Amino acid sequence: MIYCIIVIILSQIIMKGRNKKMSKIEPGMEAMLDAYLFESSTLLEQLDEILLRTEQAGTFTEEDINEIFRIMHTVKGSSAMMGFESLQQLSHKGEDMFFLIRENKIEDTAFVYDLVFRMSDLFKAEIDLIQSEGEYEPTDFSEIIKELEHGADILSGKATGDVSSANAANTSASPAASNAAEEVAAGCIAVRILFEHGIEMENLRAFLLLNKIREETEVIDFTPEAIETDSTTAAYIADNGFIVTFRAEDRDAVQKTLETALNVESIEFIEEAPQESEKVVPEIAKPASPEIKSVDAVKVKAPEPVKQAEPANPAAVHNNAFGGAGGGKQSIISVNLAKLDQLHDIVGEIITTESMVISNPELDGLQLESFHKAARELRKLTDELQDTVMSIRMVPLSGPFSKMNRIVRDMKKALGKDVDLIIDGETTEVDKSIVDNLNDPLMHLVRNCMDHGIETSVDERVQNGKPAKAYIKLAAVNASGEVIITISDDGKGIDPEKILDKAERMGLLFKPRSDYSEKEAQSLILMPGFSTNEEVTEYSGRGVGMDVVKQNIEKCGGTITVESKLGKGTSFIIKIPLTLAIIEGMEIEVGGTIFTIPISMIKQSFKVTNDQVVRDTQRGEMIMIRGACYPIMRLHDRFNIPSEVTDFEDGILLLVETENKSVCLFSDKLIGEQQVVVKPFPPYFSRYNIKAAGLSGCTIMGDGSIALIIDVANLIEN
Amino acid sequence: MTEAKSVALAKHEKVATSGKSAVRTEKENEITKVLTFLIGDQVYGIEIPYIIEIIGVPHITHVPCYEIPGFIKGIINVRSKVVPVVNVRACFGKEEIEYDERTCTVIVAHENVSVGLIVDEVLDVSSVTEKHLARTPDLNQVNNNKFIDYILEMNDGVKLVLDVQKLIFDHDVAF
Repeated sequence: MIYCIIVIILSQIIMKGRNKKMSKIEPGMEAMLDAYLFESSTLLEQLDEILLRTEQAGTFTEEDINEIFRIMHTVKGSSAMMGFESLQQLSHKGEDMFFLIRENKIEDTAFVYDLVFRMSDLFKAEIDLIQSEGEYEPTDFSEIIKELEHGADILSGKATGDVSSANAANTSASPAASNAAEEVAAGCIAVRILFEHGIEMENLRAFLLLNKIREETEVIDFTPEAIETDSTTAAYIADNGFIVTFRAEDRDAVQKTLETALNVESIEFIEEAPQESEKVVPEIAKPASPEIKSVDAVKVKAPEPVKQAEPANPAAVHNNAFGGAGGGKQSIISVNLAKLDQLHDIVGEIITTESMVISNPELDGLQLESFHKAARELRKLTDELQDTVMSIRMVPLSGPFSKMNRIVRDMKKALGKDVDLIIDGETTEVDKSIVDNLNDPLMHLVRNCMDHGIETSVDERVQNGKPAKAYIKLAAVNASGEVIITISDDGKGIDPEKILDKAERMGLLFKPRSDYSEKEAQSLILMPGFSTNEEVTEYSGRGVGMDVVKQNIEKCGGTITVESKLGKGTSFIIKIPLTLAIIEGMEIEVGGTIFTIPISMIKQSFKVTNDQVVRDTQRGEMIMIRGACYPIMRLHDRFNIPSEVTDFEDGILLLVETENKSVCLFSDKLIGEQQVVVKPFPPYFSRYNIKAAGLSGCTIMGDGSIALIIDVANLIEN
Repeated sequence: MTEAKSVALAKHEKVATSGKSAVRTEKENEITKVLTFLIGDQVYGIEIPYIIEIIGVPHITHVPCYEIPGFIKGIINVRSKVVPVVNVRACFGKEEIEYDERTCTVIVAHENVSVGLIVDEVLDVSSVTEKHLARTPDLNQVNNNKFIDYILEMNDGVKLVLDVQKLIFDHDVAF
């Protein structure tokens, strides 16, 4: 699955003699660190997911256990490779437990969950620690390791601390190996795998290969053993090859796997596997240093430079690195986000430049038939290019959503509330950068719902005629260029009076209390420094939360609103633009200034005659379209731009629509439709509230001038 | 105090303490270079390291937001980068004049924030030595002073070297 990350291995011999006080990792391994961190956190997330699912189901299927086992094993292997000994130990103990569950077919596993969840949390914390700047000091996991050992003892039926069971599972990579070794006879086949010359880290490659073979067949034995823990085996494999014994009936499948595997030079079927294995053991038991030298020698001899990252097969780039279960060919590659951002920027520039070429003023009035044909072709291709680049960056919301499962589960236990988490529309895709910004707000909102939203006692719910079991619903939908994420609960709702009391005490009210509508009062909870909960709990109530939520969402161009009915429940509605960077815009002119309005906002544009315009007593102007009445907003007045076009008959009206309001914008003239790359205003302007003025950014047009992008929602609101 | 200035002053002190034994050429004594320009009759300067480029006055897109002070004229496109422009005249509380062929936009940058400064006329680049440095009067009644880093007394007159950091990050009008 994600093994192919390991492909990025650079020429570095596996390190020996790890110091306790190391500066994160050995030199030369930095390049792998990213891959390691990514892989481990992805695997741990998978682990959480499986655990949550199985806990709900109440039982482990064999498939689940194998999957968990595989995750633990991979994490252990790669931690060892990176030299993170404490993590290796930790995952090793976790692996032991699942080994026992698998081998002994233990049914009663309820206590395992908390233990494994804690382990995975510690692991994640440690990964964060490694990721953070500065010196890395390995955490002492002895406590949890003890508990894990104890858990393993319970599982193996020995309640007393007999560690031997854990040790027995040490070579768990081939659980059946030792017993099976003698049985190797009829029905088994051995294969010697030779890796490409000088690729290094042969032991880990062998280990990964072994995992792959395991998907096809039952591996009976392999030589040398302990490949994932003993790096000296690399030299042995480099010289003598890696020998795997497996069931003969799967020969074809395995052969196919091996032949297509990465960096495999050749494979050779051999008959006499057992003898070979006996020879190996003393050899790898030798002191490490000469072995290392031999690897060095190999490296020097290698005539050709090592090929880095060689794609396993023509890999179709796929954005979802988490999907696609085992079996079949590898069709997912992981890409550094910075590279995607760069690609994205370049595409943006290409689109701007394309407009510069195609709508170049020097072309005006020329008869250029074939030029325009070619231009159209180019436009089509750049459109496709842009769509593809965008789609690469799009990730489903299922990632951040499913993380909430875990939070709800933990808080359910801690707070003693019975809550269901309903997830809807998790396949909705948004830009990767948005997803990253969404994690914290979502977590905070769900915690808030759990902590404050849902009634403390079941009786309270029943009295109010609600089912005993509360729910929190996470829903996402795609609506006209926006993703709308709703976090709702059926809890007690927000009491506007309470909010106002509190806000008054804190001096957060800006107008007389009686002037606040219910909705306005409820929106106060999004103000900085506001927290209604008297007590600060473990989960929420510091008063910084909602403020941060709002900030985070605004950072990715979104908005958050709150809707609540006292006694019925609360909903937080987050609206986020689908993409940030490139929009289809309609260019209009107002008094010499060019504005761009996102096409998705425009319902129609039309000319009117003066007698169609209805004027009310306060100089407000309106127009009737198909029986509905819309207010007219004169853009030149709104933006205070002197314009010669003030008569409706000279200009043009654009009907724009947002979620809950429609307005006709009056402008001088339409210029045309263009795809524009949204650029934020320069940081110099950050102290001014340009957004409130109804402008969301600017864009460079084909002729090099700048157009201002109108933020329709804010334009109408303010 | 800008970095360049502190370096300049440090060099200044070093020169002062090292005695007058060596005969130095003007070149050796140079502590920095400033680009000089005119606002009205007064010569101003900006230290060269801050300057990205000097262009004419391109088409300026006004940003209609009432919060933005009048001396910020809008935004311009400098090689696909959107850069805000400030009219230095207006910023110093002087009457704005029409842009003519001598009007220039000096693009300055500090900590990744670029700003275009519209000036009446760009003069030349002056080499600054320690003998040109005059200390900014501490008890000064001239409000302009807050944007002025230090003053140069040169043969061809007094030049006021602007503090680019304040120009960029301090949006209060100078008058």
